[in-house]
Amino acid sequence: MNTIWIIAQGTFGEAMRRKILNVFLLVAIAIIIMGFAFGSLDPRQEMVTVRSIGLGIIELAGVFISVILSINLIPQEIERRTIYTILSKPVQRYEFLLGKFVGGLLTVLANIALMGAVFFLLVSYKEGHVNVAILKGLLMTFFQLFLVCSIAVFFSAFLSPFVNFFLTFAVFLLGSMSSVIESLGTQDSKKSIIAVDFFKVLHLILPNFGNFNIENPIIHPDVIVTNEFHYFLITIGYAIVYSAFVLTAAVLIFDKREL
Amino acid sequence: MAQDSSKDLESLADTAKDPGLAMQKAAEENVGYAKVIEIKNLVKTYRNITAVNDISLDVYEGEIFGFLGPNGAGKTTTIKTLLGLIFPTSGTTLVLGKEAGDIEVKEKISYLPESPYFYEHMSAKEVVGYYGSLFGLKGAAKDKRVDYLLDLVGLQSDSKKPLRAFSKGMLQRVGIAQSLINDPKILFFDEPTSGLDPVAHRDIRNLILHLKSEGRTIFLSSHQLSDVELVCDRVSILNKGKIRRLGTVEDLIAGGNVEIIAENIDPENSDLGRLKAITSNVEFVGPKTVITASADNRSKNAVLDWVRSNKGDVVSVAQTRRTLEDIFYETVREGESGPHIPTSTTSTVSSN
Repeated sequence: MNTIWIIAQGTFGEAMRRKILNVFLLVAIAIIIMGFAFGSLDPRQEMVTVRSIGLGIIELAGVFISVILSINLIPQEIERRTIYTILSKPVQRYEFLLGKFVGGLLTVLANIALMGAVFFLLVSYKEGHVNVAILKGLLMTFFQLFLVCSIAVFFSAFLSPFVNFFLTFAVFLLGSMSSVIESLGTQDSKKSIIAVDFFKVLHLILPNFGNFNIENPIIHPDVIVTNEFHYFLITIGYAIVYSAFVLTAAVLIFDKREL
Repeated sequence: MAQDSSKDLESLADTAKDPGLAMQKAAEENVGYAKVIEIKNLVKTYRNITAVNDISLDVYEGEIFGFLGPNGAGKTTTIKTLLGLIFPTSGTTLVLGKEAGDIEVKEKISYLPESPYFYEHMSAKEVVGYYGSLFGLKGAAKDKRVDYLLDLVGLQSDSKKPLRAFSKGMLQRVGIAQSLINDPKILFFDEPTSGLDPVAHRDIRNLILHLKSEGRTIFLSSHQLSDVELVCDRVSILNKGKIRRLGTVEDLIAGGNVEIIAENIDPENSDLGRLKAITSNVEFVGPKTVITASADNRSKNAVLDWVRSNKGDVVSVAQTRRTLEDIFYETVREGESGPHIPTSTTSTVSSN
């Protein structure tokens, strides 16, 4: 555990200095601030739009930061040969992989926290009270990115960053349309059995990113959250369990990989 | 039986006092102890490319073992196998008596890759400390060890600067410091003097000798043949995945060369192929032809006969000392021409 933490700290220190990630962070913060500067005439409508856009921007920037960071966590270490000096020390491969993942996750957390803090303070200031719903939204966004990071790290155990970039984004986009895929997988006299089975399997395999936006009426028009605590518990638990499976697979693959 | 055990104990006591003696004894007698690295029939293939083709060798405690070969000979593949970074297709690799890559073995070895990269945002002190943490070092003990090593490699005054401000030579010194953090028994050095200025180059060469004097075993892969000749006890030369030469430096360079200078030889001579079958080391310098061959009578006379039969005039015949570079060059050229060259007779190992 200690080794994982040491590697995570090294990864975090390195990642927080990556210029491209800082660019995403600054642009996102700038857009959030601009959202407040150019409001509409109706103040109530304005805050709804600002909240929606703000969380959307944080999620989008977070996804970019998570993908760009995570796809490079392991390949970059191989390319720069840092991995050789680390793995020739008494470090198990699983410790290295999980250390990189945790370090990447810490970086994502720091970025989300920075963007979220700016957004939260501005919303609270504008509304004149502390808006807890923003914090809940940020929490869900973080666990969504937790899942994105684990998928990118899984692919990085055996794919190049270039392929990984497109694949992780594809998984994210398809996973965000989980409810659409689910409906395509339901039996219908007009659909072919092969197509239905295909979408069923796809829905089963793909992570359900839509769950993290359950309060979004566009994605889930028919869902009303009755027990919020239960919803958070299930959704966060889902992210953790799904990531655990994916990371276990990554460890098994990475353990056999020739470096 | 009791007598044998007593002899063994005496022998072990001697070798414990003097690691150099252990190496010498083991090399001479080819006995089974004091081997710190054992490679047996190692084969490594990547799809249809054979990077390492059935090599076997032993490295003994306390020696500096030079691992030479042209680019693509299979050196790095072998080192990576010994570190457990890649896995053999067949054959065995034992380090300190255990399978390569074993976590207990990793406690006692270290590796310096060619042109190492470290996290640039860290200072030298932080980087070496980071690697120390991976061995469980912490607190004052870690600080003390890090300070000692940075002083040893001459970086104490720059220890707090971020690595992005470091030159290549300074980074190489950081690499050496990190490789010593665990007080290793075996050091794997891959091109430790590559790209260094002459002063840094000499410092690192002296440091390698200092490490040997402390009883450490050094597995040195380098293209700096003059360094290898100076510091290594034994050397192997790999080419195309096979060990082509193996033995002590003295034995490999024994015999010397003969340099024959001749005139009136046409560089376009159609019989040149026959000369190059005797020695590939033929140079045309202005009107003169400089032919370097092995100093044994057979080679020397064959060259002289060739010169005379081609109506050349022998200007001078001089005995020269062979260098490791000559041996390396010959070995690589022999490998290019096809036939497999057997290992040196001094070898305690075999290459099949």
